[in-house]
Amino acid sequence: MTLAGFIAKNALRNKRRAALTVLSVAVSLFLFVMLLVTLHEFTVPPEDIGASLRIVVRNKVSLAAVLPVRQLTTIDKIPGIAAVTPFTWFGGRYKDEEYTMFAQFAVDPARFTNVFVEAHAAPEQIEAWKKNRLGCLVGKDTMEKYKLKVGDKLKLSSTINPMDVDLEIAAVYSGTLDDRNVFFHHKLLDEALNTGIVGTWWLRAESAEVASAVIDAINKAFANTSAEVRAETERAFQMGFVSMWGNIKILIGAICTVVVFTLLLVTVSTMSMAIRERFRELAVLKALGYRRRELFAFILAESFGLAMLGAVLGAGGAWLFFRTIDIQKLTNGIFVYFEVTPRILGTAFTVAAGLGIIAALPPSLAVARTTVVDGLRTLD
Amino acid sequence: MAAPNVVETRQLTKIYRQGEINVTALNRIDLNIAQGEFLALMGPSGSGKSTLLHIIAGVDRPTSGEVRVQGVDVTKLNESALADWRNQNVGFVFQTFNLIPVLTAYENVELPLLLTKLSSRERRKLANTALELVGLADRARHLPRQLSGGQEQRVAIARALVTDPSLLVADEPTGNLDANSAQEVLGILQSLSRQAGKTVIMVTHDPKAAAYSSRSVHLEKGGLTNGELDSTLRAPHSKVP
Repeated sequence: MTLAGFIAKNALRNKRRAALTVLSVAVSLFLFVMLLVTLHEFTVPPEDIGASLRIVVRNKVSLAAVLPVRQLTTIDKIPGIAAVTPFTWFGGRYKDEEYTMFAQFAVDPARFTNVFVEAHAAPEQIEAWKKNRLGCLVGKDTMEKYKLKVGDKLKLSSTINPMDVDLEIAAVYSGTLDDRNVFFHHKLLDEALNTGIVGTWWLRAESAEVASAVIDAINKAFANTSAEVRAETERAFQMGFVSMWGNIKILIGAICTVVVFTLLLVTVSTMSMAIRERFRELAVLKALGYRRRELFAFILAESFGLAMLGAVLGAGGAWLFFRTIDIQKLTNGIFVYFEVTPRILGTAFTVAAGLGIIAALPPSLAVARTTVVDGLRTLD
Repeated sequence: MAAPNVVETRQLTKIYRQGEINVTALNRIDLNIAQGEFLALMGPSGSGKSTLLHIIAGVDRPTSGEVRVQGVDVTKLNESALADWRNQNVGFVFQTFNLIPVLTAYENVELPLLLTKLSSRERRKLANTALELVGLADRARHLPRQLSGGQEQRVAIARALVTDPSLLVADEPTGNLDANSAQEVLGILQSLSRQAGKTVIMVTHDPKAAAYSSRSVHLEKGGLTNGELDSTLRAPHSKVP
């Protein structure tokens, strides 16, 4: 027999309790990991490959305020810009759907493909889209969801403008983080609304080195005009959306804290119960010559082992689960991406390790304080 | 020539504090126990016999006085040194056996040896020898719940013996056993004293159990009284089964 074998036999002596302890740690850590990933997705949204060079220009007052289309001539003259396209939210409903289930944007097809370089589509389809005023570019996921094919009609009713558009699917794209969107000619919007406005300008800088100079130049170009702008990187633009979630970070953080604290109480209680039942045996071990530090090591190893087993099942299970499921489908598109990162896994295992250590302290202290004589007096 | 003393107590006193009241469990005990002696500590409940046994065995501390076991003043040892000393010098036998229920008889006997630097092969040899000595080699793979009370106590004796300690302490070792099992256990303790030269200290209420000892001392209200056991009650030599 080895000491490790002795510890394992002790940990598994009450198999039901050991299993329930491991499961309570596993379920809690699964939830903990899920919350951390949720927080991560909200606060650090994923970026497309081209996002590092993309710049978003919006009205300085608010995202809801629009920009005049005449700004394009000024932007085009600013050095360091590889491509720029108008980018206006349409907010249409498809068929009888109550809400907008996928995003639609009015863009300039000729310029769009140079801004979103990571979107892959057949060149002949892109050419067809550019030539067809009513044509649209649809993401692969939306095509699959609604069982659409190239050439099909796509009628959208705008929820923010008094208009409908009857589009024809000309091209299908894939390869971006969100392959659900629909893009159509901005001309349709211009003609229907006749206002000469765009929602935002999206552009691609020639290189990362010039990106910040481009942002400064655009902001300065429209300073003190009737439509002052705020140019920012795509990342900063996304973070602006995140800030609209308000204190979600604090909320999720608070839930995480409660989960960990509850888990701690459960584990400490279970370990204390398990050790209290063995007080007499531990007193016998003391009588046989085992020292406090060895008894502490036994308790710690048992507690740590159970907690880490729970972590493997809970955090490891979460990693496996979110790798295999289609989160986009499961959350109806709220999350496009739900990755259990190595950092989140590390946090979960660190929490489990801390849990194992802290849970071992109260029973270890109780054992250390109890003399052999007092320990032998305890009832089995 | 008389055997040297293994245990010597001088003015050994133990006072428990219960709230505002001091209770004297042991009052200036002077006691010598020679090597190979089988001593029965007798006395009514609360007389202090278990306290005396615990202090000699190094699991309790006296309030004052001195305890020397093989020349070592155990009252001067710190917790860690005392634990090492117990592992090497004292074997414990308890009334309720106190075997670890999830370990087999063999593993229970091997338990004290895990603290030593012996190889697994050496540990196996010593544990098997100890089990053979108490006649339970064929029960080595049995869990405590698969053994009778007498067999459990014999495993406990094997566990006490496996480190080859000079001193064996037994607290009411036959208290939970039937008459036949008690005789077997007492026979083993007697043989260990007479044949292996182990010093055995046994706490008991039972005069029949005490009859197996070579000497018995009586405690009453924390003090020693001179109560030598009636020679007619002395048991014949027994041998290890």
